[in-house]
Amino acid sequence: MISIKHLSKTFHNPDGSTLTVLKDVNCDIEKGEVISIIGPSGTGKSTLLRAINMLEPPTSGEIWVDGENIMAKGYHLDKMRRKMGMVFQSFNLFEHLSVLENITYAPVRLLKISESQAKEEAMELLKKVGLSQKADVFPDSLSGGQKQRVAIARALAMHPEVILFDEPTSALDPTMVGEVLSVMRQLAKEGLTMLIVTHEMRFARDISTRIFFMNEGIIYEDGTPEQIFEHPVHSATKAFVNRIQKLVYQIDNEDFDYLQIHTGLNQFCLKYNLSDKARTGYEIIQEMLFRHLKNVRPLTFRITYAELAGETALDFMVEGITESPLPHNEATQQLRSRVKDIIEEPTSRGFRIKILL
Amino acid sequence: MTKSIFRLFFCIALLAACLSSCSGDGKGQMEIKSEEDLSGLTISTSAGNYYDSKYSQREDITLFRVNSESDGAEAVRQGIADVFVTDEVGLPAEIRKQLGIKLAFIGQESFDVAFALQKGNDALREDLDRFLTEIKADGTLDAIISHWLEGTPAPEYPAPASAPKSGTLHCTTAMNMEPTCFLGEGDEWFGFDADILKRFAAWSGRDFEMHFQDLGSAIIALNTGKCDIVNACLYITEERQKSVDFSVPYYECHPGYFVLDKGKSARLSLGERLKMNLITEGRWKLIVNGLLETIKITLLAIILGTILGTGVCAMLRSRRKWMRSAARLYGAFIQGIPTLVLLLIMFYVVLAKSGLSGTVVAIISFALCFAWSAGSIFDSAISSVPKGQTEAGLSLGFTPLKTFTGIVFPQALRKGLPLYAGECVALLKSTSIVGYIAIQDLTRASDLIRSRTFDALIPLLIVTVLYFVLAWLIRLVLNLFLKK
Repeated sequence: MISIKHLSKTFHNPDGSTLTVLKDVNCDIEKGEVISIIGPSGTGKSTLLRAINMLEPPTSGEIWVDGENIMAKGYHLDKMRRKMGMVFQSFNLFEHLSVLENITYAPVRLLKISESQAKEEAMELLKKVGLSQKADVFPDSLSGGQKQRVAIARALAMHPEVILFDEPTSALDPTMVGEVLSVMRQLAKEGLTMLIVTHEMRFARDISTRIFFMNEGIIYEDGTPEQIFEHPVHSATKAFVNRIQKLVYQIDNEDFDYLQIHTGLNQFCLKYNLSDKARTGYEIIQEMLFRHLKNVRPLTFRITYAELAGETALDFMVEGITESPLPHNEATQQLRSRVKDIIEEPTSRGFRIKILL
Repeated sequence: MTKSIFRLFFCIALLAACLSSCSGDGKGQMEIKSEEDLSGLTISTSAGNYYDSKYSQREDITLFRVNSESDGAEAVRQGIADVFVTDEVGLPAEIRKQLGIKLAFIGQESFDVAFALQKGNDALREDLDRFLTEIKADGTLDAIISHWLEGTPAPEYPAPASAPKSGTLHCTTAMNMEPTCFLGEGDEWFGFDADILKRFAAWSGRDFEMHFQDLGSAIIALNTGKCDIVNACLYITEERQKSVDFSVPYYECHPGYFVLDKGKSARLSLGERLKMNLITEGRWKLIVNGLLETIKITLLAIILGTILGTGVCAMLRSRRKWMRSAARLYGAFIQGIPTLVLLLIMFYVVLAKSGLSGTVVAIISFALCFAWSAGSIFDSAISSVPKGQTEAGLSLGFTPLKTFTGIVFPQALRKGLPLYAGECVALLKSTSIVGYIAIQDLTRASDLIRSRTFDALIPLLIVTVLYFVLAWLIRLVLNLFLKK
């Protein structure tokens, strides 16, 4: 359905410097596929998406849609764009039109269907995204998640063959991500062809039929979610998909800055949306450092979060010993009951206690 | 709407309070019998006349230069000046009584009064001189002057000369005052200056036309060939002879020194003042015609300026750098030059030879100014619509043009219209300077009435209200347009 050959894009900055975002992108997209494009920031994921519907005209290469070269001179882009919907990170709802008008505006004018039929279809779509109550309000009064759901309905109203999603949840409050993703999940289930640039790894793994891992301006690795997430071929892919976030403190004596650890934990939990773990984490750190491991110094303390696995852990590492420094008594027994697991294991340089929250 | 009406009344009340409170009785009664008594006083007189140059050399006298006789007399009434000096015949008795001003003494000097012509226009000057000499000789001139000064019957009109000229005699008067030269009933000019010139026109077979301007502008008009003759009870002085030619004198004049006649100010009732300013001699027609002129200039300049402004906006948003630079250069030029100066340059220099009427030149000049403000408002209004709106329109399958007209433009309109309305109102107000190129707009109409009635408050108040209503109408119409 869409075939991309040797696509490249170079930006020319006003100061004369150039920036090549896409180097040599090649791929084929078939009808019914749900493809997530993942990868580090600045590797051209959004640029690729915007190049496919020519909002960002490529520098060189070819894009074929339904057997037609859309980069050919004189090609009617508007005809192609009618069958290729787009959902933007910043929603881009028409501020001067009501929610219903936002959805009916294009079908009435471009598909030439009657106003009443367009309204009927729009109400149907609003019901689908759970916003039939909001038909007559203006975008101003909607929350981010609601705006994005209207934007999806607006794209669907044109009956596109494919919808491009450009980081649809990146501008949303964490609390609103879920409502948008569930609408998209539903669309994927219905067999809509979708191309999604996203940072939501779990979501990408769950709904995609294929994953493009982009890095350094090319599609670095292309495969099923299982291949990409479980058995990545390239080391860059591996490092990215197992992305682990860390916070490390070295505790040498009794005068360590406990307040710094406390604030650090708070910020860490806020950043990765782990607020539910903050309280328990805080209690356990205090209990470990001031009670169970009171006399064990120096030690290295680490907070880790594996985004993909959704795993939060507290690591306490002591060098130069071979036996667990954690005493086995009633207090530690009680501690075990409050966490998911406590793993005590020797390492090459000493001993580690890993507490899974 | 009620709010703006309330605001209107508030403004009027404020203005009225302001004007009535400052109409004081001035300084104490003064005994001024001769030129020696003038020492240490403030003298008001018309800027650029003989007394201006005479008294500006005396260090013991403060000069208060005004633009018209009525302003000069008003200055004495308000106590800003002690003495007002003008031609002895300058202030009609009726006006003196109304203002509470009296003639203190008549100066010793005497002056020959003549008409001014463009330097080197000898054909017309010789023609005029021949006519003046003729009517002097047969006593018609004396009869004309005594007709206007004492009300004796007017002499008969002269028969056309043996070799009549064709065309129009364009006269500019820098004076609107009885009995010299004044605009009276039916928008016609009267007084002995006007009478002599009318007779000259008839005698030489020309049509007669007269405009009113301040002396400075009148001389510019004369020197750029916009008019043929300037009259204003002009004294022949050496200084003036350097820049204009004079006809033979037709009158001898003495300076009159006017002071406040304390306690003699005739307090007219509001009804009498309204009647004097509006009904007498059909003066309301001046206001109506001025209003129509102001509306005509404003509307046409807005329309033309908006069309040009669309072009400016397109240039500002052009992909070509030289187009954008050209538009900005234009903006810098328009912003850097006062509207009045632009108007004068357009009228007397750029379009001087084009034969376009003053009204057309004014419309073009204001449109040029308005084009920049409108163009830059359009540009920033369009820029204020986020780029994402265009992208969303394109991504749905609209062409770039349909995206602009259907999605970007309606949003830009909402943001730009209030500013645009403000610029329209600003344009309306700036048209009040067209009097400088002899157009009788609303402001000039009030000047003309003021210089006849010597009443500052009523004519100014009336035009203030009219400008206010016009501004309000502009906003109303544009808001209705926005709602639609």
